[in-house]
Amino acid sequence: MADPLDYIRGFGVTFKKLFEERLTLQYRGGKGKPGKPDEKREKGLRFHGRHVLNRYEDGMEKCIGCELCAGVCPAKCIYVRGADNDPDNPTSPGERFGYVYQINYLRCIHCDLCVEACPTQAITESKLFEFSFTNRNDAIYTKNELLVDDNGKPRWLPWEDWRDGEDEHTSAWMRATSPAGDHRYEGVVAWSGELGHGVRSPEVGQSDSADESSRPEMATTEVEQ
Amino acid sequence: MTNTEAKTTLSVTIDGEVFEARPGELLIEACERAGTYIPRFCYHSRMKPVGMCRMCLVEVDTGRGPALQPACMLPCSDGMTVSTETPGTRKVQAGILEYLLINHPLDCPVCDKGGECPLQDQTVAYGPGESRFVEEKRHYEKPIPINDNVFLDRERCILCDRCTRFADTVAGDKLIHFMDRGNNTQVNTFPDEPFASYFSGNTVQICPVGALTARPYRFKARPWDLDETVSTAWTDSAGARVAVQSSRDKVIRLLGIDSDPVNWGWLSDKERFAFEALNSDDRLTAPLTRVGDHLVPTGWSTALERAVSLLSDADPDRVAVIGGARLTNESQYAWAKLAKGVIGTDNVDSQLADGLDPELVLGLPRATIDEACTPGGTIILCGPDPKEEIGSLYLRLRHAVVHDDARLIELTPTATGLSPVAAHSLHPRPGEVADLARALVEAANGGPAVSAAGVSAEEISSAAVAIDGSVTIIIGRASLAESADCVTDAALQLAALPGSRFLSALRRGNIHGALDSGLAPGLLPGRTTIEAGAARFADAWPSTPASRGLDTAGILAAAADGRIDVLVLLGSDPINDFAGRPLAAAALETVPNVIALDMLVNDSIAMAADVVLAASGATESAGTFTNLEGRISVCRQRVTPPGTARADWMIASEIARRLGFDLGFDSVESIRAEIAAVSVVHSGLDEKALAEALVDGLLIGGSGDIMVPGVVGVSPSAHDAYSLRLVASRSMYDDGVALRNSPSSRGLARSVTLRLNPTDFDKIGVDRGTVVRTESAVGRLLVPVEPDPGVPVGSAVLPWAAPGSPANTLIDPFSTVTDVRVERA
Repeated sequence: MADPLDYIRGFGVTFKKLFEERLTLQYRGGKGKPGKPDEKREKGLRFHGRHVLNRYEDGMEKCIGCELCAGVCPAKCIYVRGADNDPDNPTSPGERFGYVYQINYLRCIHCDLCVEACPTQAITESKLFEFSFTNRNDAIYTKNELLVDDNGKPRWLPWEDWRDGEDEHTSAWMRATSPAGDHRYEGVVAWSGELGHGVRSPEVGQSDSADESSRPEMATTEVEQ
Repeated sequence: MTNTEAKTTLSVTIDGEVFEARPGELLIEACERAGTYIPRFCYHSRMKPVGMCRMCLVEVDTGRGPALQPACMLPCSDGMTVSTETPGTRKVQAGILEYLLINHPLDCPVCDKGGECPLQDQTVAYGPGESRFVEEKRHYEKPIPINDNVFLDRERCILCDRCTRFADTVAGDKLIHFMDRGNNTQVNTFPDEPFASYFSGNTVQICPVGALTARPYRFKARPWDLDETVSTAWTDSAGARVAVQSSRDKVIRLLGIDSDPVNWGWLSDKERFAFEALNSDDRLTAPLTRVGDHLVPTGWSTALERAVSLLSDADPDRVAVIGGARLTNESQYAWAKLAKGVIGTDNVDSQLADGLDPELVLGLPRATIDEACTPGGTIILCGPDPKEEIGSLYLRLRHAVVHDDARLIELTPTATGLSPVAAHSLHPRPGEVADLARALVEAANGGPAVSAAGVSAEEISSAAVAIDGSVTIIIGRASLAESADCVTDAALQLAALPGSRFLSALRRGNIHGALDSGLAPGLLPGRTTIEAGAARFADAWPSTPASRGLDTAGILAAAADGRIDVLVLLGSDPINDFAGRPLAAAALETVPNVIALDMLVNDSIAMAADVVLAASGATESAGTFTNLEGRISVCRQRVTPPGTARADWMIASEIARRLGFDLGFDSVESIRAEIAAVSVVHSGLDEKALAEALVDGLLIGGSGDIMVPGVVGVSPSAHDAYSLRLVASRSMYDDGVALRNSPSSRGLARSVTLRLNPTDFDKIGVDRGTVVRTESAVGRLLVPVEPDPGVPVGSAVLPWAAPGSPANTLIDPFSTVTDVRVERA
């Protein structure tokens, strides 16, 4: 039998919460009426939101159409097709560029494996989560929508709720792991993040052992005899 | 037991396990058979080893202590001990890879090979993990085209010698080679000379890195998004086995499969890139009907109704079917049943006067490619240039002659692609090859050698001496300007050589399947005649034709006379393919109704078709293919047909149903079951056997009820001194509708020239490049002339179906030879 006092204790929790600060925010997705509050909570450091396709500072696209993101995607939501760059008017450095780039957000699970797989940091994720579609075709974001503008900032699509500062750091690399999956490299910038806009400082705190002394030397691996 | 018998196998210890190797077997092969893979880059099982890459170094102990030796250069010896996983072997493998990667760029994400790259895979498996080299890599101009379809990226090349060895020793087109020295060594073409080889695509396939890439596949997809099925190449009759690879329901690449009895993994570029025509924007996606001068898309029911009303109104003897070599065996059988069993006409021919008497092909003792290529045997080529027509066969024959001591004797009107390696090239005057064959056989059987057909007695006697060992005669049409009877007579002469066997070199796709399916006048499916087979087909078919019908020349002549009411073009283009364009044009103009089944609108369809039924292509429908040996191999469906196009057998079933008869087919398996039941030669054709023979195919032997025809006794008209005798020979790339729709092959058709022996130049009074009027009894052409010492004096060679100058304009299908007057225009 339950203790009858448990009912009172339960209501006690409720009464206590009545006088605490409320966690609920008045979020209206940017559609709030004047005078009404429209608050948006700051997202976590590694929040996985809508993708962006980045450019180099000279305006060239970083995507080379290698399809590694599509290959690694567990939800098979990315469709990429490569094509030859026009040598006189290249879209990206090198021979190949991403001719078609589409992400189906009805399938995307925001696991960020595409970001990890990308050899050129072309695809990264923003913290935008406002997706709203009225048909399946609209759920497929094309290269036009994903690609950053000439200033390296993500496009503010009409239905999205961008707040000040949210379009900073969207080109920074947000790895869940260290480059080789080795926790000893945590907090070390092992890939030059200087190519695009918004360099994020290295992140620490995933594990306790992230000190420099435990890291092996990088370039002098001898073959064991 | 004697000592020699004891040495039939050699004991080799591979990583502690004793393995019985074959004498002469290379260590790398023995290890692979024993289940131990030794990494390699330069070694290729179909080419001689060179030991260039050093990746296959393993520790070998032959009694003097272990030492590193290249497994690809080392034949096994008795008592050899091999260690493939010692620290020393591992160190050298890691070292070789680190060394190769000093200069190999790490542009794997943009490299077409990335994901299926031996260098990538072996670096992961055997590499050191880290490189100690931080220096700038070697740089070259990024990909340079070495021919129209192949790009070379020299930065990626690891100098394994595979492509250059292939070009030299396999294809015989020594057009790429190493140049410069040391660190600057690179593969390249000779200056201003492209890698103009019909087999260049193979170098892309065997390149162990991404140094060679092919234009049709370049950046189209990555290996991990390809779906793959085993199938058979369809552009010629060799039946080369291919892996058809598609991405997003579109075929984007074909790779050769190493089928030991057929193509050894090689493909000609035509076979390799022919899929582009199936992806053409001009593919028929719906049936068409003629409205006025135009063909307009329509629905299937309308189109079928119109076709069926034409067929049901016509007298069976006034219905004719031309073509069928494009179809699978199953579709051919369905169409044979529809035409001969349901409609009741025997005017059915799958050859367009460009083939041979089917009873000759099916009746003579047949050889396989392996038998033709027997080491030390004799190959007599009494047919077309295999290099131009049947690329995979050319590579096998060339290998037999160059590496296996077979002797090739050519009885061809001009020099061929095999002439450089032939033991004897005898070039008879056009139309007289039978005389030459008779003289050769007489000399070979001990008789006196006499000159014949313009070939001297000395040449004939020395060629006759060379006939030894197994004798295979390759028969086909070397020239479409002379009658097929010339080849028939020559073949029957050569059949007198003891132990001789024949390999057909009819080129057209699945033509041998068509002959086996009875798509020829007088034949029924399963190598039988309408007389011999009537009883066997009585149950399965509503009726069989009572008397022999017309062949294509007869059909077209009858059509031009107004004696044909409905002509069915089963994937054929008589205007361009029939040996006799004036007759084909007259027939198509006169015949009132034409029904066509095709994938693309060809010239004959555009001119005459009333109803066009959209058919599916080779990668879009399942079935089987019969190659020139009679080998049945599987074609599998890889992608869906465009629009509402459907398989040819489905169209046959539908037409039959509307004519009031159920063919009884609901799948290709059901057709195969009926073929196996009614055919005398196909009894072994069951699903289990086909599945087991997935790579090598199922050889269907025997002549069934077919009797070898008698000698025709052709006697070409006397050659007057003012004319030249025409030789019309096919080339790999021509102006066919499929090639016109393949972007990678379209530009490769050679510009048309009339090739003459230089001594004839003075006689006519022309120079190289002079445009001449070439006039025969039925037509004329204006073409430039070119000297060619390979053409005998008195002959003139014109390529078949060349863009703008169709050779068949000059040809009368009913004359034995074609004489042309050549005059300055």
